[in-house]
Amino acid sequence: MSNTTEVPPSSTGSSLSDQSVLAVRSGGDTRSNTLHNVGLILRREYKNRVTQRSYIISTIVMMISIFLGSCVPTAIEFFTTHTNTPSQVAVVNNAGSVAGLDGDPLLHYISNSLNGTTTPPDQTKSQKNSTSHFTLQASAPDDQAKLQNEVKTGKISVLLVLTRTNTQDVKFTYYTALTSSSYDDSDLTQIQTMAGQLSVLDRSSRLGLSAVQTQQLFAATNFQVVHTQADQGPSSLAAYLSGYFIGVVGIVLIFTAVYLYGIWIATGVAEEKGTRVMEILVNAATPFQLLWGKILGIGAAGLTQMICLTVVGYIGLLLQKPLEALLSLGNGSSSILNSIDFLHTSTTLLAFLMIYFILGFLLYATLFAALGSLVKRQDEVQNAIGPVSGLFMIGYMASFIGGSTSTTATWFQVMSLIPFWTPTMMLMRIATSNVPAWQLWLSIGLLLIFIVICGWISSRIYRFSILLYGQKPGLRQLIKLMRA
Amino acid sequence: MGLLVEHIYKSFGQFQAVKDLSMEVKEGALFGLLGSNGAGKTTTMRMVLDIFRPDSGQITWNGKAIHDLERRELGYLPEERGLYPKMTVEEQLMFLAQLNGLSKSAAKKELNEWLDRFQINANRKKKIEDLSKGNQQKVQFLATILHNPSILIMDEPFSGLDPVNAIVLKDAFLEMHRRGKTIIFSTHQLDQVEEMCEDITIINKGEVIVQGNVQEVRRQHGRNTVRLKLDNDAEASWLDALEGVQVTKRRQDYIEMQIRNDFNPDVILEEALRHAGHVSRFELVEPSLTDIFIERVGKIALPDAPATIA
Repeated sequence: MSNTTEVPPSSTGSSLSDQSVLAVRSGGDTRSNTLHNVGLILRREYKNRVTQRSYIISTIVMMISIFLGSCVPTAIEFFTTHTNTPSQVAVVNNAGSVAGLDGDPLLHYISNSLNGTTTPPDQTKSQKNSTSHFTLQASAPDDQAKLQNEVKTGKISVLLVLTRTNTQDVKFTYYTALTSSSYDDSDLTQIQTMAGQLSVLDRSSRLGLSAVQTQQLFAATNFQVVHTQADQGPSSLAAYLSGYFIGVVGIVLIFTAVYLYGIWIATGVAEEKGTRVMEILVNAATPFQLLWGKILGIGAAGLTQMICLTVVGYIGLLLQKPLEALLSLGNGSSSILNSIDFLHTSTTLLAFLMIYFILGFLLYATLFAALGSLVKRQDEVQNAIGPVSGLFMIGYMASFIGGSTSTTATWFQVMSLIPFWTPTMMLMRIATSNVPAWQLWLSIGLLLIFIVICGWISSRIYRFSILLYGQKPGLRQLIKLMRA
Repeated sequence: MGLLVEHIYKSFGQFQAVKDLSMEVKEGALFGLLGSNGAGKTTTMRMVLDIFRPDSGQITWNGKAIHDLERRELGYLPEERGLYPKMTVEEQLMFLAQLNGLSKSAAKKELNEWLDRFQINANRKKKIEDLSKGNQQKVQFLATILHNPSILIMDEPFSGLDPVNAIVLKDAFLEMHRRGKTIIFSTHQLDQVEEMCEDITIINKGEVIVQGNVQEVRRQHGRNTVRLKLDNDAEASWLDALEGVQVTKRRQDYIEMQIRNDFNPDVILEEALRHAGHVSRFELVEPSLTDIFIERVGKIALPDAPATIA
């Protein structure tokens, strides 16, 4: 093998001394034009990255999927509206007058109770045609056998038979085509509730109570809750859930982006080492310039991609209202997009998404670059970045766990202030609760401090390891080298 | 003045890579830095380039510490060749030339001139990875010299080249010499050194073992080798009986022997005539650098240690 440069034997190579660190040209080199060089390297990295076919294709694919993703709530609403087939309910009354009602009035009572409307009987017909889920028909007792068959064949959804037991209670018999193991019989639940109410009314009328008296009996309890603390977050569960939803999207975006661009940096450094371009680069520029040129160049390429994605996502969200109108989805009062001030929340969140993406990226980029500089070949990068990936993953997982329970818990608040976890966890807090301003400023301040510290440590690791082709130094040696 | 290296030491851990190394390279000289693999050549070069700092000792260029020198004054051709495989020739060289302090227009001008000279203009839009090895070497060479440095440090500039490309690169190399550049290079082809260099330093295990002007070095080690050819006596076995003469080679075209310093070579000629030999060749030769290298380094050379650090 002729690949030997001037090298010490492996037995001694592992014990890197302090001198080898001091030896490498330091970052604060006055004779090199740092800004000029960082700019040149940045431009090269950026151009090299954004002109790669894989970059362009993945950006386009992600833009399409983000756009489609932003249309998902509207699409779900569209399909649920159009697949909501009404349930045909046949009622056979063998019980005579129930709660003083018989024939059509009874049917109207049942219909109103099930469809939750209070429309007068004469309008029930038109109501049925539009949005009512349950369509009722009264049938003669003689038809019961025939109707049972129709339930079986699916011609009608439900047959409800009312009879009286020995104790004069009303007995409801419910025939359905669904098997007993079906989870999803929402009709049953609703009809059961209705039957319960009807049964109570019937009993009370038999006890001689008037309808008004019965109503009084069941009037809602006057129960008021007074909150002595100011509101900690979204007032309703729906708002919390939609906040959580947006938070999850933001966290996935931050995690994926920081991790992906971090890997770009680590492999980029490893590639420069592997192809030995580093050998001429270190002659032209200082390691400090190389490190930051690379981080900023790839960061700019990543930011370009992120901006493309968020712009597309934002346009997608803005398009939802016209789209709903186009699909004539009613007043959309049930739509998740309108139930809260979705776009307003998104804008605030988007600003923090950008801030935490940039800061989180810079923090992890320095670490990924240092780790990338420690390996010999590109294929070793995945292993080398393992510890830092794990560190990042903790915050990622924690924000899911905390987000699904409560982000106001103390452990979550404390963890969200630790810079390595701030980008994911603090974003989840912003999405789901009102974070005190001082905590936001503190988290940003801590992130900035850690970027400086990690940047400094990484520069030191970087500048001795970029020309090191031996085995990876251990943690203890790294610490020794950094202190030197 | 030129480049002055004074008593530099460098160690990696317990490994002493360079030990008390001193050398002087005159401005405009072609200087050979020789040594076997692992002798400390690359480490020395990197210290001259201020990529590593010596543990002690100093390196100056015309009296100025090397780390105060403008970076663009230095050009480095590393032994391990490497460029960005995905970049085109033009982008690559423009980037490196600008990184080395050239303005964009100046870089462009130099680039056009050199691509023509190296006859690789047709490849300027091609990616490095699509080029032949010879053309990659040319681009690598251009990356070293495009910013017009005053000091060129080249680690094995001629290794791995086919004869045609070797001549192209050697011409460019000598052109740089004609332009007054100071060139320090290492090579294993010692005949090239004899042909081109004025001064050399041979190092082994980080220490200087031979140093000076090529002619002087040969003279110091020389005049002890005699080559003799007798037309009618190919063996000349009587030579073995001579006190102070050690036959080293018996070849078809001549017999080579080493003589003691105080031995008068004329005695051999007299003896040959006394043995009725027809002398067709008798010469006192200076040893080649290869001989000196093998003699001085070979005695102490060890098998290559596994590579761990550069």
